[in-house]
Amino acid sequence: MSDAKNATKNGPATKYKLIGKNYVTPDLYAKVTGRSKYAEDYRADGMLFCKLLLSPMPHARVRKIDASAALAMPGVKGILTADELPPPADSINDNGTVILANKRGDRGLTMEPLYQGDPILAVAAVDEVTAADAIEKIKLDLEPLPFVVDPLVSLRPNGPNARLDGNVWVRGQQPPPQPGRPPAVVPPEVTTLKWTDADFAEYNEGKLPMGKATDEWTVGDLDAGFKNAALVLDETFVTPNSSHQTLETRTAMAYWQNGKVFVHTGTQSTSQTVPAIARWLGISPDDVVFISEYTGGGFGSKITGAITLIIPALLAKKCNAPVMMRISREEENFIGRGRPSLHGRMKVGFSKEGRITALDMFVVCDNGPYDQVGDAASCGRIVSLLYQPEAMRFRYTTVLTNTPPRSPQSSPGGMQGIALMEPVIAKAARKLGVDQVTIRHLNAPEGKAKFGPLINGKQQYVTSAFIKEALERGSEMFKWDERKNQPKRSGTTARGVGVSSSCYVGGSIGFDALCIIKPDGKLYIQSGIGNLGTESLIDVHRVAAEFIGVPWEKCEITWGSSAKNLPWACPSGGSQTTHAMTRAAHAVAMDAIKKLQMIAAHDLGGKPDDYEVANERVFRKGGGAGMSLAQAAKRAIQLGGIYDGHELPKDINKFTAASATALAGQGLLAVAKDTYPRDGVTHSYVATFAEVEVDLETGQYKITDFLAYADVGTVIHPRALGGQILGRSTLGIGHAIGQKWVYDQHYGLPVAKRFHHTKPPTILDIPQKMDWAAVGIPDPETPIGARGIGEPPVGGGCAAILNALSDALGDEIFRRAPVTADVILASLEAGRPMQEPLTAHI
Amino acid sequence: MGLIQWATSPWGREVPIHIAFGLVWVAIVCGALFLIAHAIYVAYWAKSPEAASGATVGASRQLVAGIPERVPRHSFGARLFHGVMALAMLALLFTAFLPKMGVRFAWVTWHWIAGIVLTVSVIYHLFHATFWLDFWSIWPDREDMEDASRRVRRALGMAAPAPRKFAKYPLENKLYHLAILCAGLAVIGTGLLMMNRVQTPFFTRNPYIFGFSDMTWGWTYVLHGFAGVVLVALIIAHIYFAVRPEKLFITHSMIYGWMDREKYLEHYDPHRWRVGEAASESGSPGGSKSRVPV
Amino acid sequence: MAVIHDVMPAFELFQPPTIDDALRLLGQYRADAWAMAGGLDTFDWLKDRIKRPKVVVDLSQINELRGIREQNGGVEIGATTTLTEVVRHPLIREKFSILSTGAEAAASPQIRNQGTIGGNVSQDTRCWYYRAGWPCYRAGGNTCFADTPTAINREHAILGADRCVAVNPSDSAPCLIALDAKFVIRTPKGERVVNAEDYFIGPGIDITRMNILQPGDLLTAIRIPADWAGAQFYFEKVRDRNVWDFPLMNVASAMFVTSGKIDRIRIAVNAAAAHPLRLAAVEDAVRGKEPNAATGEMAGKLAIQGARPLRFNAYKIPLMRNLVKRAIGGVEKPAWA
Repeated sequence: MSDAKNATKNGPATKYKLIGKNYVTPDLYAKVTGRSKYAEDYRADGMLFCKLLLSPMPHARVRKIDASAALAMPGVKGILTADELPPPADSINDNGTVILANKRGDRGLTMEPLYQGDPILAVAAVDEVTAADAIEKIKLDLEPLPFVVDPLVSLRPNGPNARLDGNVWVRGQQPPPQPGRPPAVVPPEVTTLKWTDADFAEYNEGKLPMGKATDEWTVGDLDAGFKNAALVLDETFVTPNSSHQTLETRTAMAYWQNGKVFVHTGTQSTSQTVPAIARWLGISPDDVVFISEYTGGGFGSKITGAITLIIPALLAKKCNAPVMMRISREEENFIGRGRPSLHGRMKVGFSKEGRITALDMFVVCDNGPYDQVGDAASCGRIVSLLYQPEAMRFRYTTVLTNTPPRSPQSSPGGMQGIALMEPVIAKAARKLGVDQVTIRHLNAPEGKAKFGPLINGKQQYVTSAFIKEALERGSEMFKWDERKNQPKRSGTTARGVGVSSSCYVGGSIGFDALCIIKPDGKLYIQSGIGNLGTESLIDVHRVAAEFIGVPWEKCEITWGSSAKNLPWACPSGGSQTTHAMTRAAHAVAMDAIKKLQMIAAHDLGGKPDDYEVANERVFRKGGGAGMSLAQAAKRAIQLGGIYDGHELPKDINKFTAASATALAGQGLLAVAKDTYPRDGVTHSYVATFAEVEVDLETGQYKITDFLAYADVGTVIHPRALGGQILGRSTLGIGHAIGQKWVYDQHYGLPVAKRFHHTKPPTILDIPQKMDWAAVGIPDPETPIGARGIGEPPVGGGCAAILNALSDALGDEIFRRAPVTADVILASLEAGRPMQEPLTAHI
Repeated sequence: MGLIQWATSPWGREVPIHIAFGLVWVAIVCGALFLIAHAIYVAYWAKSPEAASGATVGASRQLVAGIPERVPRHSFGARLFHGVMALAMLALLFTAFLPKMGVRFAWVTWHWIAGIVLTVSVIYHLFHATFWLDFWSIWPDREDMEDASRRVRRALGMAAPAPRKFAKYPLENKLYHLAILCAGLAVIGTGLLMMNRVQTPFFTRNPYIFGFSDMTWGWTYVLHGFAGVVLVALIIAHIYFAVRPEKLFITHSMIYGWMDREKYLEHYDPHRWRVGEAASESGSPGGSKSRVPV
Repeated sequence: MAVIHDVMPAFELFQPPTIDDALRLLGQYRADAWAMAGGLDTFDWLKDRIKRPKVVVDLSQINELRGIREQNGGVEIGATTTLTEVVRHPLIREKFSILSTGAEAAASPQIRNQGTIGGNVSQDTRCWYYRAGWPCYRAGGNTCFADTPTAINREHAILGADRCVAVNPSDSAPCLIALDAKFVIRTPKGERVVNAEDYFIGPGIDITRMNILQPGDLLTAIRIPADWAGAQFYFEKVRDRNVWDFPLMNVASAMFVTSGKIDRIRIAVNAAAAHPLRLAAVEDAVRGKEPNAATGEMAGKLAIQGARPLRFNAYKIPLMRNLVKRAIGGVEKPAWA
């Protein structure tokens, strides 16, 4: 075991007392003892239950709803249909930019269901059995409409369209600019795109057709890159669709009191869900009280809760009673969101050393029927960053299908891009006779590595990248050089090792933090972050405690309800939180220190700079006069103004300002927005290693060893980091070993609807030996040096397994993920890839 | 009990899937009631057949003299068809309905094999009857209708001329053939479609062939089922008549191909069913002749 | 009528204390009644509102249905004995370890704690078309949705299909066939004992049922004779996930080898057909031969005769061949193991 690994796991030998150290988060005991309350655990007087009527067809028009028999049943209290929903509303982001509503977005209920399971109406009743019985009594007159569940089928010359107005998303038309206002963000438009029969000429050979793409970008001289290549590969690969499968479904409960709506549901952001609810319901954010103490997983599917929460809210208003909408597992499989599959074709040129001289990538994204997902676009950027091709063209098309709506899922687009590219890199290394780690090291980003398309003539670049160090240290820890030469076959068993590079966005900027030092000497920290299980909800605030110098035992964290006066925080999606909120926590600590220094100078004389803050005191540097934090808090209340929150900085979010105002006068109130500079876009990286053993007579395989070596900057909480690295690796492993959607294209309906049908990995499917470590080099563009980690391990988890499998079995076994026993056995038997290469959802 | 079994299609729509299989009991009971009623009627109420009607009286001596001792009635081909068809039909009905009655065995393969045999035999029969037999002899004609009307009026005590003797086939026989034909073609037509939905060596199994909707397929199965239970009743009646003492000579002719001259003269009108040399003298209106190869 | 799943409708629940009471209830309500053991199969159907019994007869309170007893050198296992109890019972572990292994391969620990041996052998197929409530043959309809040009049938049958291509998913069933177990059934007419392999039926015989139980019948016990105690056993289950998954296929064999030759053998495979297949032809072919790789190869090839693949399950043919081969010739462990 290397020193680096020891250091990260047990806490680095650093100057910090809290940062980088393990501890128990204050929400943990409730979680493991079952005392934590999730949305479904709440009850309110007179509470009704509602059930949804889901579309049985993949695409239909509701001609008539006859609910008379249902509404006549005793105990049935009301019905809600799409006609009663507020219209889609525009929103305004933190920069004041208007984001125009997407009229084609998911509204929760619909009269033109676009996939089986699309909710059409809801019925509220005194209990669920009555509500379900009432649903069965409703007569629906549905007119079937054309449908398609396979994006390539939709792109065929006479293929059906998933929506009446088309089958692909394209960029929306920008309206004329309004003087003095930033240009609005326009929603994408739907249009019809059909490819020619000639485009499909190679379909049966398993090569992705490449017709007209809706979007493309090019960087560098592609032709020259291919000309200079010693090896050119042209490979097609397909990644699976996969449900988010959060353990807590998107259950929601709502009621109205004094004109305010109270909503309970799971979310990835407590603060940012408030304006979302307001926008969906067409009311003011001031009239929203949002409660979410615990969330059973999100993975991108609950970034601001889920729009279906408006169903109990509107029914509660209509029935004048609280309404609970418990979402069943089958309903969750329909409305719970999923990761889109990407069909990819990669033409890649390599130098004889393995350097990518040119990459021509074409991607088809299976979008589902509603809002456009950014997976395809993000795939291009991540591939461009991770492999640093000398020249790259990226073309993509996002195709609408009558399958459940997609949303970001951990490493959206990145995971798929890595899973598409890694098998090609692995194959190239084999063909060139180059070591697998070496070829990734050769192509890996470092420093302020550039990536993505040209924006105003320039590529973006990252804040930092230490993946080369991760590859070096990881291969040492995994004993790569030793293992790559170990025997591969014995009897009916094959063995292989694989390595994968991986990366994703690792942080955002510009959010707020809020805390109060009260006269009891304790630090009260308000957290607007969602509690979705990553522990970043708490971890980031250790930074504030660290710098203000308050022992952790004297810190109280408040979270989980907008009524509790929380600051504006980032949504915990896209691995933003650790980066964004440690910055905010650092800023608020600086604000607290500054105010403490000012109070000390005010009372004890001298300049604020003459004072320092440590050991729960503010005191003159080098010893001398000082006061305790408790005393300073009392003085802050007496002084008022900026000290106790009666006067607030202008740059904080109005949500934070409202919370700070409500808390004013209780002590020394520190509040700040993260305004630290950042040069580059923050990304985190992982080098992943895996070993598999394949039973050649059954096709079954086991993952015998696994290591994820992460570059996440400064480690804040080692145990939580380990949980994230291995947990998210497992999410990726699921995509390699079994997780997928299955559809029957005749009816356009899913057949894998049960939890076990979609095969998320079980505890016995994870690697027999599983380890992690972190490089621990701070990111230079953020005060603490910490970056996020949620997303990057996912792609590596998937691709390392795929690469280990191809190391064991060769390149002629699989052409898509997941790779299951049947695929291996059938291909081994035939001596060529036997799985249908391009059919969606098999 | 409804007549049809309904189910919810994958798209949540109510579609028919089968007849209510209890209907087979209805068919059996109807068949049994008919035969009991008929037997009682014949035993106690039916008048003895009228000895002769005007038509027979008018038959030329030459015509009668030309009639052989053994009047050829059914060619070997026709008898073979009837036998094969009957076996196939019985096999189909037993394989179809015994499992529904609780007799469990793997019936589907036997059922479709019997169905193929039935189909081939019926195709053979169509060609044979059209080109080699007196095609029109089995279809009700104007004289049948007139005689039927006469019989009914006389049965009701009204004045009516005596009905003529029968042509080759009595009207009841012709109507029965018509009913069998309709029910048989319905089961064959639907059955051939349904064979696409089970494993056979003939078709690649494809339940979605022809783009039929769940509704269309449902009605196909329902039609197959209804025709099947109708056949049960019809065949009960058929077997009943085949074993009735006064009809045994007809059954005999279906086995041996001929009937006694006496029976012929007793029941049939030589003008309407021409046999032997007489047959070659004048064609029937339909242009076909009783060119019976024996 | 609109369709809704995942909400259990109301029904009348009976919890009889004796087998006789249970039989009386089942006889009284006939087709309206549903006999429930562990409830794992049952609750799926009930929650999805696809099977709608008016009455559920919960067998969990019947003590005489539970427990494992030694009987003439063999064992008798009450039908509602949990899989966990079967897995852990010392007598079974000692003499009939294949049943422990097979039962332990079923589902997950939580499910085995609740699921019963009787339920495991009597469970309905997991064909996802059928379980989704599609009106297939097995549901009384007129279509096999799992064998169409668009069907996804990776987990379906390669043998014994008759319109329906579903498979039996039980992991314990092939073990019980290998052990020549007898199934004790109480019917309104009295007790009936059948051989394990005769308990299961294919779609040709009855497309709506997986076994011979008629409404009103109850599987009360499974008897394992002493004949195969301590035999050389082999069980293997191939599946997508190592826990909480049904078999893609499994194999179970019991074999006595005398003087290096196979003296007696019973072998069964499940998830290849709608009922567990006892491979009598294979047994006959290998008797008297050495239990080695060559015999295994020959047995494997024999086992798959007549197999007919569907669009997505051709892999089951080599899988069955290899599993039978291993059951007889053993598995070669890698040198590095």
